[in-house]
Amino acid sequence: MGSWHKLKESFWPIRCVWLRYFDVYLKNWRYGLVTTFVEPMLYLCSFGYGLGSMIGNVESNGIVVSYRQFVFAGVVAQSCLFQGFFEAAYGSFVRMYYQRIFKAMASTPITLSEVLWGELIWDATKGTLSATAVLALGVLIGDFSVLGSLICIPLCFLGALLFSSLGLWMAALSKTIEEISYPQYLIVFPMFLFCGVYFPLENLPRNIQIFASLLPLTALLSLIRTLTLDFPFHPEAMGVFIFWLVLLVLLSRDTMSRRLVK
Amino acid sequence: MIAPLQIKLLSKSYERIGKPPFIAVKDLSFEVNAGEILGLLGPNGAGKSTTLNCITGFYPATKGEVLIDGFNVHTDSKKAKQRLGVCHQEDTLDTDFDVLDQMIRYGTFYRMDHFEIVKRARELLETLGLISKSNELIENLSGGMRRKLQVARALISNPKVLVLDEPTTGLDPDGRRVLWSLLKENRKKGVATLLSTHYMEEAERLCDRIAILFEGTILDLDSPERLIEKHVGSTIIEEEIRPGVLWKRNPNLEDVFLKLTGKSLSGEARNG
Repeated sequence: MGSWHKLKESFWPIRCVWLRYFDVYLKNWRYGLVTTFVEPMLYLCSFGYGLGSMIGNVESNGIVVSYRQFVFAGVVAQSCLFQGFFEAAYGSFVRMYYQRIFKAMASTPITLSEVLWGELIWDATKGTLSATAVLALGVLIGDFSVLGSLICIPLCFLGALLFSSLGLWMAALSKTIEEISYPQYLIVFPMFLFCGVYFPLENLPRNIQIFASLLPLTALLSLIRTLTLDFPFHPEAMGVFIFWLVLLVLLSRDTMSRRLVK
Repeated sequence: MIAPLQIKLLSKSYERIGKPPFIAVKDLSFEVNAGEILGLLGPNGAGKSTTLNCITGFYPATKGEVLIDGFNVHTDSKKAKQRLGVCHQEDTLDTDFDVLDQMIRYGTFYRMDHFEIVKRARELLETLGLISKSNELIENLSGGMRRKLQVARALISNPKVLVLDEPTTGLDPDGRRVLWSLLKENRKKGVATLLSTHYMEEAERLCDRIAILFEGTILDLDSPERLIEKHVGSTIIEEEIRPGVLWKRNPNLEDVFLKLTGKSLSGEARNG
């Protein structure tokens, strides 16, 4: 069977799984609204407007922008990170370990592989919704270009897919739900703090800059700022981004399959 | 006519670090015919769940094959599982949905028409006494109701092959009888049912044939009557049920099991 035929055959089952998550999201829409949209808005208000009014302009990559613009682009990437990672890590652990619905769904004509694609694509969708809200606000107040922001949406989806894969991988490796705190505090929060969301990487010591530039959030941020704020394009950022995306998607799906299937 | 469920030389072993692989089931071969209920009887650790996980395609087999209505569950899984209904031993209900939504959701996984799903779901809920709970969240159901719902969900697609892993565990006697009558109805419709159970009475009443599984192999497979006749005979058994109180009874499957394995179904070693 050809790859195209397989892909076509998997479209419906993946859509079914995605719709399952979407229906749950709609059922709990108040909770969904708070987690998806309120959190990035709080960061925007406190850092973008609060700190932004004190700092004024920042210079990064030879471009001078207002601190609010700088942070807005950072929060777009941060939304992909937080929404993607947390939904996939904690949500999928609950679905895999407590609800056991991965197993239930995989006992129907939907394969486990399709269940995991549905899971990742949903998690990425949630991250994209959140990032899109920030982009829309950026466009509305004139901080982002419309075209750049529109092109940014699929990039945000891929970014959220990357961090969802990280979350799914960590869920698959964790014996208990509490163990997910390790990657949360040792990977996600350090990335959030040192990858240039709130200040230019140039402010960091050279060694840390090099290390940070190899991390996926830095790469995603670089691409987002290129699209929204006309920062220079760094091909190496694209390379790092694709490397992590492919690696984490493969690792997460393989590890979760191994965890479930003996 | 080909049996809807065919298991051919099925083996499953688990890799272990620094140790030889653990063989959970070895060279199992049997068939479940249309309109037949085949019981899988064995103590904990006999390999029942591994066997069922391989049959439902969730675990890959180390060797051998499982055919559902002629389709290999591992290499042609979509077609095979389209014809299969599964009730897992563990609670796999989707707690994010209410009772009816749960059924509808699973019906869509089989690409069933929406109206057909709703009709079928209502029928099943009615039969199992759950129709008044249609709009209840799963967390509000008792353990027995959850079990019945899981069986109802397994039947949503009108499967040709039904695999039930201890479906009546946690059910009260009334609930058990309701489920038994549903399974008997399905037998009349030609559904091939593979039933794993701990309950002797259930196995004797429901199953046309019983496979006794022990340490990953089938010790014998026959009708309950023939198993008893072959291994225990028709001699009345006398048991001291309390000090000084003797009870005379007919031999049953538990005796067959003790005779074949030296263990009771709960896994306890035989006395004396």
